[in-house]
Amino acid sequence: MNALSIGQTRAGGVCIVTLSGRIDSTSASDVMAELTRLISSGEKSILVDLGAVLYLTSAAFRALLVATDEAERRAAKLALCNLAGHVRELFEMGGLLDVFAIHNSREDALKQLGGPRAP
Amino acid sequence: MTHVVDVRLHNDISDIGIVRDTLDNLAREFRIPNRALTQLQVALDEIVSNVIKYSWDDGARHEFLVRITVQPDRVDLEIFDDGTEFDPMTAFLPNHAPEGRPRPGGLGIHMIKHLVDRFDYERVDGRNHTTLSKTCEVGSPEE
Repeated sequence: MNALSIGQTRAGGVCIVTLSGRIDSTSASDVMAELTRLISSGEKSILVDLGAVLYLTSAAFRALLVATDEAERRAAKLALCNLAGHVRELFEMGGLLDVFAIHNSREDALKQLGGPRAP
Repeated sequence: MTHVVDVRLHNDISDIGIVRDTLDNLAREFRIPNRALTQLQVALDEIVSNVIKYSWDDGARHEFLVRITVQPDRVDLEIFDDGTEFDPMTAFLPNHAPEGRPRPGGLGIHMIKHLVDRFDYERVDGRNHTTLSKTCEVGSPEE
């Protein structure tokens, strides 16, 4: 129930990864695998939309940190958007709001990442 | 009203789904408020994944117990395992990577301390006994 699902769309040069459901110890490796796969395939701008995420655990934060480091190594940008309610609280609790590039909305993020307006 | 459910898990990370679903079902049945449920689910994932990762290093299959107790004013999560003595409260000291990024190893424990109202550990009769307790109004009609 509320299992993790990973969707993908594109807005110009930005690859948008939409995560929904729970990201915990059982599913964080799927997130890490998908993000590192995209980075390895040459994506230079990745936006992770967390708007439909129920909650994240430290395993999820670890996956996002590893992906962010990997993006930096490959001169790519990885940003997050749509942190709402419980999810934002968990980022705050972990002291992680300043660690990632975080945008309020897809529109804001796409402006920063240089893509066209969100559909 | 006190409702106690014992869930037996093995040291396999996919077993976390069993206790996660049990907590979800209890939340529906006894109307545990949403925010408290989310915080309990995160804390449960952190503590159970720690037991699975650190309690045994012999590569063998081991069983341990998670007890969920729902009371009118709180929910308790207790974990009993016969693995290596492991006090999660002192196992990871707060630390930061040199460039200022948090080191995820201690992040889970850091989060548990903020997510629940009580976080205790004791070693009893050769077993680790960890207790997490979340104060909340169980059965409130609004959620």
